[in-house]
Amino acid sequence: MNNKKHVFAEDSFFISRRKFMAIGAAFIAVMAIPVGWFASKVAKRNDYIKARSAGLYKDDAIAKLRVSHANPAVEKYYKEFGGQPLGHMSHDLLHTHFVDRTKLNS
Amino acid sequence: MHHNQHDMRPIQKHPLNVRVFHYILLLSFLPLAATGLLLFFKPLSQEGMQLTYDIHIIAGVVLSLDALAFTVIAFDRVVLFIARVFSLSERDVKWFMVLGGYPQKFLLGKKVPVPPMNKYNSGQKLFGACVLIGGTLLILSGLVLWLVPHAAPRDLVWLLGQIHLVAGLILTAFLPVHLFLAVYRFDDFKAMMIHGNVPYHDAAEYTPLWVEQEIVPVTVNQQRNK
Repeated sequence: MNNKKHVFAEDSFFISRRKFMAIGAAFIAVMAIPVGWFASKVAKRNDYIKARSAGLYKDDAIAKLRVSHANPAVEKYYKEFGGQPLGHMSHDLLHTHFVDRTKLNS
Repeated sequence: MHHNQHDMRPIQKHPLNVRVFHYILLLSFLPLAATGLLLFFKPLSQEGMQLTYDIHIIAGVVLSLDALAFTVIAFDRVVLFIARVFSLSERDVKWFMVLGGYPQKFLLGKKVPVPPMNKYNSGQKLFGACVLIGGTLLILSGLVLWLVPHAAPRDLVWLLGQIHLVAGLILTAFLPVHLFLAVYRFDDFKAMMIHGNVPYHDAAEYTPLWVEQEIVPVTVNQQRNK
């Protein structure tokens, strides 16, 4: 029967045109819904980060002190103790000294 | 004995486009199932796992393109398949009550009456629904997990990973059953693998409703459909 042409085949439109279109439309809709769902999820993925940064900007905008050099505590430190910014005393007190410890790891 | 016993007149069961689709599906799904299990259990070295991952991706792309191409080129077959697979009746309940008579045949060697089936029996319909839904979930989740795991929301990626895992395991579990029953129904096996035709007696035995309701002589059919 290998090379013989078939003598029967199924009537490929055994369902009505109306039913065919209904099933086809439902199939396309089911395929389209997850695409829209993924797209909106991806589009909204950074919303909480944006809300957080907007909140931080808002806090900054209404803050009394908006820059560090206007901080009265810092002003008081330089006036009474540290001399001037980048001066010797401030440099010694405020800068960190690093030691090469890479040998310890090896 | 029924007079259909030795009726060898060929009925076309699987047209060429279906057979080509099935072949590509077979050649892509077998490596996908094997590499998927390897990716789940991670038994290999770093290089071995990397190669496994690469094979999984390539086979996944082949399967996705196969499914997409078949949906576009043979949309009518997709709709007809959905119509068959999701048609439920009392016969399906009765079929599952005796599991198609297969366990009785294999284990007890006796034949029990089975309700008449259409082109697919109830078990094949259940399998078809799982392949249709599970395959779609696997393709969509696989694409997101492969291409945009960093851009998609973290919780969504985790959920898609779980969906990919469960759907993959279910379809992989179906695989040995499908292979065994495919070879057992050898006339249908030859139809899907070689020429697309089943002899009339086989169709009349296993799929009587299909023969009765949908099968027409090919000359009449040719007028309408090539």
